[in-house]
Amino acid sequence: MLQQRSSTPIEILRYALIVVILTASLFPIAWLIITSFKPADDIMVSPPRFIFTPTLDNYTYALHKANFMHFIQNTLYVAVVSTVFVIVLSSLASYSFARYNPGGGNILFFILTTKMFPAIAVVLPYFLIFKEIGDTAVGKALGIGLDRPGALIVSYTMFNLPFAIWLMVSFFQDIPRELEDSARLDGYNRLQVLWRVVLPLAAPGIAVTAIFCLLFSWNEFLFAYILTRDAARTITVGVESFFTLRGILWGPVAAAATISVAPMLVFVLILQRYMVRGLTFGAVRG
Amino acid sequence: METAAIKNPGPVQARRTMSDTWYSILLIAPAMIIILFFALVPLFYAIDVSFRQADLTMGGIQGFVGLRNYRTVLHEPYFWQSVGTTVVFTFFAIVIEMGLGIFVAFLIHGATVGKGLIRSLVILPLATAPSVTGLFWRYLYDTQFGLYNYFLSVLGLPWQPNWLGDIKLGLWSVIIFDVWLWMPFVALIVLAGLQSLPKEPFEAAELDGASNFRVLRTLTFPMLTPVLMLVFVLRTIDCLRLYDSVATLTRGGPGSVTETVTYFLYRQGLVFFRMDYASTMALLFMYAVILASGYALRPLLARLAMRAGQR
Repeated sequence: MLQQRSSTPIEILRYALIVVILTASLFPIAWLIITSFKPADDIMVSPPRFIFTPTLDNYTYALHKANFMHFIQNTLYVAVVSTVFVIVLSSLASYSFARYNPGGGNILFFILTTKMFPAIAVVLPYFLIFKEIGDTAVGKALGIGLDRPGALIVSYTMFNLPFAIWLMVSFFQDIPRELEDSARLDGYNRLQVLWRVVLPLAAPGIAVTAIFCLLFSWNEFLFAYILTRDAARTITVGVESFFTLRGILWGPVAAAATISVAPMLVFVLILQRYMVRGLTFGAVRG
Repeated sequence: METAAIKNPGPVQARRTMSDTWYSILLIAPAMIIILFFALVPLFYAIDVSFRQADLTMGGIQGFVGLRNYRTVLHEPYFWQSVGTTVVFTFFAIVIEMGLGIFVAFLIHGATVGKGLIRSLVILPLATAPSVTGLFWRYLYDTQFGLYNYFLSVLGLPWQPNWLGDIKLGLWSVIIFDVWLWMPFVALIVLAGLQSLPKEPFEAAELDGASNFRVLRTLTFPMLTPVLMLVFVLRTIDCLRLYDSVATLTRGGPGSVTETVTYFLYRQGLVFFRMDYASTMALLFMYAVILASGYALRPLLARLAMRAGQR
């Protein structure tokens, strides 16, 4: 196609521009990680220092003094549990949509419109509802209520479900229907077909969807910010706890931010083949 | 279902269809109950509150006041200011992200070596939580210790802007951050679109000796339109409901120049505890977004839904 006509100077220009773009994209992340290893004296200096003795002080401070461990535990717990719920519910639903399409597309479209709700419009009613549920016996028993992890699990399950259903429908569509039909002829009943034939074949798609759900829950900010105060606080909000009266402690902020960002960078490197599909609700295949 | 079908022997085709229908409904039921419950309950709750007096600092949720909240909100200058800010932000962010993203997609698409590596690296900002990186960008934007002003001085420019403190620059600082975060999204999806284009029309055009510009105008862009539309709509929805980066990068400041609708809403509801005003604004905002995005996305998504039924 077009690139066959390109001459050497154009190729050089192309790679030069790519390097510029990559630098602009990556240096904020690189600088974040670099700052997290800087001694306090090397952070608030002008001009910025590029050469310094690396230290783990910021991580020690973040993890011990500021109770950041607790935020990490909360984040993991909420992200994993909500992802499990989402995957169980959405794999059943997506299989049904891909294979039988109940509602002729209308239900599937309705599900997507719930994703168009601006989170802020939903979070205020959630705040009021969780405030009320939290005082009841049921709320206390299930851990649902303001500043309880259950509130975030419920919110994230709700928020990731439409996305997961749409993404997984596109994966289930890739499974040849003939395999199911021949399994039925071999005497499998419907549930056996689903459990022994379809789900194993859909495993890669399910895994990709699960990682996306983890990514979104892990990075979520608004619900965590508004529905939690301290006991159920997650990392994204917890990073702000280093904004003290004496000023912003940029070292620990960078350490905390690195802890928050690093696992997801790894996930995205694994996911990159599927990123396009995931970010467009399965509408575009990468 | 199966047993019921066996008891009522009918034409084989009819029996299968009936049973398929119930099975498919059974499978979607758990997810649908959750979605209906957690999407519609808050919605009705917000609608209810929007017709009441609800000042959480003074007696909580009280009696009906009719359309009073709607009148108050629509006459509130700060509400309209936040609408304006959101529209300006969305316009510039989308224009720059789409322009730059498409350009980068073409750059990477034409690359002969290291395409996969370049793609992996360029999408990394998408992995980060906007709230967390937004917070860190305050350090990058810092007038004393920040890297941006340092780079400007290294380049020999006398310009040392106060990114987050200057009321003329505040919104641009948020736009630049948003472009950094989301340009890769546009690039990634346009790149996928480019890679999935059929080869034959381009080969034919080359045989005909069509110029690059002509190929772009008459072949590439028309064929990319569905993908570009999707990216455009998804980005617009996200820009309209921008919250995370404003909350951590600027907190609506300096003054209120970066106060978007969502941030204004948040302040009304959870700083001043005027749930009635906040719910009213949330609903107005939601109707607007759903109307706009629903119509824009409908044709594209209807196609995917249709494909779902065919298999």
